[in-house]
Amino acid sequence: MKRLPVLLLTTLVAAAPLWSAEPPAVPRFVEETDSAGLQSRFDGDFEFQVGGGVATFDCDGDGLPEVYVTGGVNKAKFYRNISTRGGPIKLQEERSGLELTGANGAYPLDIDGDGRVDLVVLRVGEVQAFRGLGGCKFERATDKWNLRSANAWHSAFSATWERGQPWPTLAIGTYVDRSKADFPWGSCTSGAVLRPAAGGKAFANPLELAPGHCALSMLFSDWNRSGEAALRVSNDREYYKGGQEQLWKIAPAQAPQLYTPEQGWKPLQIWGMGIASHDLDGDGKPEVYLTSMADNKLQKLEGDGSRPNFGDIAFKRGVTAHRPYVGGDIHPSTAWHAQFADVNHDGLADLFVVKGNVASMPDFAMLDPNNLLLQNSDGQFVEAGQLSGIASYKRGRGGMLVDLNADGMLDMLVVNRWDKAQLWRNVGSGTADKPQPMGGWRQLRLIQSGGNRDAIGAWVEVDLGARTIRQELTVGGGHASGHLGWMHFGLGAAQSVKLRVLWPQGSWGPWLTAASGGFYAVDRQNGISAWKAP
Amino acid sequence: MLPRRAWAASALLALAGLFALAVHAQAPPSARPAASFSAAVANEWFGLALQLTQQTPGFSAPVASRAFAYLGLALYESVVPGMPQYNSLAGQLNELSSLPAAQPDEVLHWPSVANAALATMTRMMWSNASAENKARIDLLERTMALKYGADFDPAMLTPEISNRSATFGRLMAMAIMTWARTDGGHEAWGALRRGQPNYVPPGGAGQWSATPPAFAPPLLPHWGQNRPFVLKEAAACPAPAPPPYSEEPGSALYKDAQEVLRISSNATQEQRQYALYWADDPGKTPTPAGHWVFITNDLLKLRRASLADAAQTFAQLNLAMADAFISCWATKYALNVVRPVTYVQLVLDSSWVPTLMDTPPFPEYPSGHSVQSSAAASVLERIFGANTSFTDNTHNDRGWGPRTFRDFRSAADEAARSRLFAGIHFNFGVTGGQAQGRCVADKVLALRLRK
Repeated sequence: MKRLPVLLLTTLVAAAPLWSAEPPAVPRFVEETDSAGLQSRFDGDFEFQVGGGVATFDCDGDGLPEVYVTGGVNKAKFYRNISTRGGPIKLQEERSGLELTGANGAYPLDIDGDGRVDLVVLRVGEVQAFRGLGGCKFERATDKWNLRSANAWHSAFSATWERGQPWPTLAIGTYVDRSKADFPWGSCTSGAVLRPAAGGKAFANPLELAPGHCALSMLFSDWNRSGEAALRVSNDREYYKGGQEQLWKIAPAQAPQLYTPEQGWKPLQIWGMGIASHDLDGDGKPEVYLTSMADNKLQKLEGDGSRPNFGDIAFKRGVTAHRPYVGGDIHPSTAWHAQFADVNHDGLADLFVVKGNVASMPDFAMLDPNNLLLQNSDGQFVEAGQLSGIASYKRGRGGMLVDLNADGMLDMLVVNRWDKAQLWRNVGSGTADKPQPMGGWRQLRLIQSGGNRDAIGAWVEVDLGARTIRQELTVGGGHASGHLGWMHFGLGAAQSVKLRVLWPQGSWGPWLTAASGGFYAVDRQNGISAWKAP
Repeated sequence: MLPRRAWAASALLALAGLFALAVHAQAPPSARPAASFSAAVANEWFGLALQLTQQTPGFSAPVASRAFAYLGLALYESVVPGMPQYNSLAGQLNELSSLPAAQPDEVLHWPSVANAALATMTRMMWSNASAENKARIDLLERTMALKYGADFDPAMLTPEISNRSATFGRLMAMAIMTWARTDGGHEAWGALRRGQPNYVPPGGAGQWSATPPAFAPPLLPHWGQNRPFVLKEAAACPAPAPPPYSEEPGSALYKDAQEVLRISSNATQEQRQYALYWADDPGKTPTPAGHWVFITNDLLKLRRASLADAAQTFAQLNLAMADAFISCWATKYALNVVRPVTYVQLVLDSSWVPTLMDTPPFPEYPSGHSVQSSAAASVLERIFGANTSFTDNTHNDRGWGPRTFRDFRSAADEAARSRLFAGIHFNFGVTGGQAQGRCVADKVLALRLRK
């Protein structure tokens, strides 16, 4: 009889592979919306049922990202980040020149290459561009830069720097025809591509991106590592007629061309609302997560990568996130912003998805909490929204994982329709009083000369020893929400790791070594240097 | 403390439980396929849809055919993941390249899925139903499990499976409705009751003009521009060219008009009965498409068909009839052939009007009944067999049935000829419509339903 416990143990050990890998460590998030001073609401009727974005960027050079929250019919607000490093998050609303109404999305980028962040604001109405003046002051540059758009319902944005261009190429997506609000079905309007004008300093007249299928997210990404970014567009099947998800080939000096089924593109119709892109399986090519209404997809490039032939692995990897995981609502979920990032510093990208009912659609969940899906070492994702403390039942839209207090841990912003925006501080395995990072981390900022100062389009590889993690630096995607600034890497137990950068339209830089737990600037000419706050 | 033997037993039980959990994580329990359930859910919802069609304003024959088609498609797509040998129609129907997928690891209960999908689709398609009928929709959805205990076995249907199944069914209906809103038909009779844009019938000799006694404006003049379900375009199944307009004695049209005048004026009692039997007027009956749905629903019940059989049958039948109406309407308004009453009054007998029924307010060629009945019969022949005898109970409540037909084709031919007996169509409108209907059915039957 004494052998029974041994037998039991042996059997359990033998059976262990039948279970998934050890569950990932769950970080704790503490809501600090009110104490941080974040007081923004995204309001509006039909024309503001989509959108609701947030932008984060450092415009005063202190390394802490500022926050710009769109408000729909309310005024969009700018908050200077006055947090204490490693402490509670503190935001201070300031007049910056970015104030306007009708804003539903915002993406930061340095358009004019002057080293100061600029901002493109999507609106129900004309898109507005703001030029950064330094010190978190901005001026309208829409006319000066000839950034022309119609009085339309703008709903998606992305940007890339095409080969040899000092200014970016912008892609702007639109939703339904505003004049057909009483019967919007089948009335999706075209998008536009704006290329730099000859001689620079402004944009040429827009190229029509037609057909438009009610784009709710766009992302320039080098999907097959050819060195040339293509434009992924996620479209809302609710209103298009004969539409589908799109991938546009944007070749220099040529008109945008849709990839076709003959070229390997598989038609897909979803209520496309957000895009996140990340190389999850280490093959060097990004997987693409598309949010929808209970029909979220995780696409992996199939074959040799020569054709845009994507297959769905959402179920296989555990990221379908098709209904609420807590709260008791049995209806399907509605997913919007999506973002891959390593929130628990185990060296594995996790997935953040913002959820919320469009309005009060009875066939979809009203209690629809945001997801925090943590990646296991076996590549499976595990829901940790409830355990981590980020489950919210508001009507989520845009969002952002970003380190707001420079402690290395990614904090969380969510914009909610008809409700206040929310903010959570990531305290790792600790508490609000004693935050504790869960593993190594490093944040990088890329710098190069020329127009594309922030090296948008670069790929960064970090060698963790057993494997290599990669990130592509992009502008666009998510849902109406953008970030410019630090690239965040979780490093697990590694103390010092190597990294290298594939510069846009260039070659790999040398392997560089940096310690865990710090901020670094990687200059294309001068190499890596530790960054210290001024 | 437990005795040693009890501890050992507990340990073994725990081990067995852990092993079961482990196995569960690897291989979910297999769900019963859709073919193992009865067609009761489908029978009930299509039965209610017939009543709704008859009692809801605006459900003219083309509008009804569209609603039945989306109901049939919602049924098929909601249960096709439970039909391992069958394909989804996503990717096969126009501008529908994909639909939500069932989660492979989650057991679904197909009658619950179908019940939720059909309830949701019925609410959306008959959104202007009376309050009483809306209550009927709610009641049917809620009581289905109570009425059909064999299909909704409480021992198998856990709350989790029940909720998950209803969720998937609703999601599928929503996805199909999203697609439906962009087909053009939704604008003609959608939730917002949009009127048709102003339409001016073309003038000139031989062109259709409004007919006595009501001289009503043309019905749904843009219906032919709707997106077909299966046909690549509405003109993919052209009807043979009708005879050219001519008032010359001896011309083909003149002779056809004489035939209408002769037959309708001297119709036998049997011919008059046929004319009334197949009139299938909106507001009084479930419309022509509903007539064939009624026949099919009875056949499925009689044969104790499975849920999978019903899904396949209702999808094919209703897609064919809906495309038949689109094809027919496109031809009608492209050719604008004059109605017999107009021609006869102009050329042969200025005082003649059809005595059995009023001429419907749209162009003559081809006959809508002929197109859609021919399409329906072709589909049912393929499913049930060409020599299938059946009893039609559609008009029992009006005292006109039951009637037994020796096969589908003879019923469809009678429906088509009834329009000639009624004096509202020429013979070429009947034969031209039959040819068009067969073509439509062939294209629907070419869908790759089976793997």
